[in-house]
Amino acid sequence: MTWTWFHRLGSPPYVYALAARLTPWFAWPAALLIIGGLWGGLVLAPPDYQQGDGFRIIYVHAPSAWMSLMVYTTMAVAAAVGLIWRIKVAHAVAASCAPIGASFTFAALVTGALWGEPMWGTYWEWDPRLTSELILLFLYLGYMGLRAGLEDTQRADRASAVLAVVGVVNVPIIHYSVTWWNSLHQAPSVMRLAKPTMAASMLVPLLLMLLGFTLFFGAVLLVRLRGEVLNRERSASWIREIVNA
Amino acid sequence: MSQFLEMGGYAAFVWPAYAVTLGAIVLNIVWARRALARSREEARRRLAMRGEGA
Repeated sequence: MTWTWFHRLGSPPYVYALAARLTPWFAWPAALLIIGGLWGGLVLAPPDYQQGDGFRIIYVHAPSAWMSLMVYTTMAVAAAVGLIWRIKVAHAVAASCAPIGASFTFAALVTGALWGEPMWGTYWEWDPRLTSELILLFLYLGYMGLRAGLEDTQRADRASAVLAVVGVVNVPIIHYSVTWWNSLHQAPSVMRLAKPTMAASMLVPLLLMLLGFTLFFGAVLLVRLRGEVLNRERSASWIREIVNA
Repeated sequence: MSQFLEMGGYAAFVWPAYAVTLGAIVLNIVWARRALARSREEARRRLAMRGEGA
């Protein structure tokens, strides 16, 4: 097996061109999956026997929460790769992840509050799951604030990468918070080793949404990555062709 | 249709939840495109300052 493909992923012009070419392959399937998931979740799925139509919040809450954790993990892995092997493109990936993850963490918190009020009788509780998810939002915001505060991109890359890597301990804490502590929040019904505990008519739209959101992350990441790659290049000749195109 | 919009009495919770999430999706698209455009503009300016621009 040759490793040329891996080395090419460290090459900014190659990554820039590849990201541009791949974006529609993520964006269009994401759009179709999300539209299908919305239709299935809002129209086709039957009301829940306990929560009635209120349970339909799951189709936006669970994918947002999934994004908050998956994007952070991607960011931390990319940051670690950037720190260890000093790969600029890896730092560019990490920097691209933060605003995406922050926005979906916000969405997960708000949709969770809107689900909590009718079902638990409260928008907010200092509960292990809710609190650790709020800390995740602060980690994202801290990461972005730290980057914004450092003028030099290389220094910003290194300092923010350390924060991203240290903060990753929060990810398993969030995931297992509902099993480790008494939480208002329900235990996982899909993201678990055993079979999911949902009827297929409810589960399939959720899976479409989860996959659609994941591909959407890919598409937005690829667009942002191109910008971050450009930010890290000073005078390379390949940039001239791109900015003048 | 109005029955659908009522969401079995949960309309005040279901629709804002969908609005916030779809808002996050739309904002992500807008922000990402804007960030890329800004980076291209800055790169163009950097090259121009070095006399390497078009």
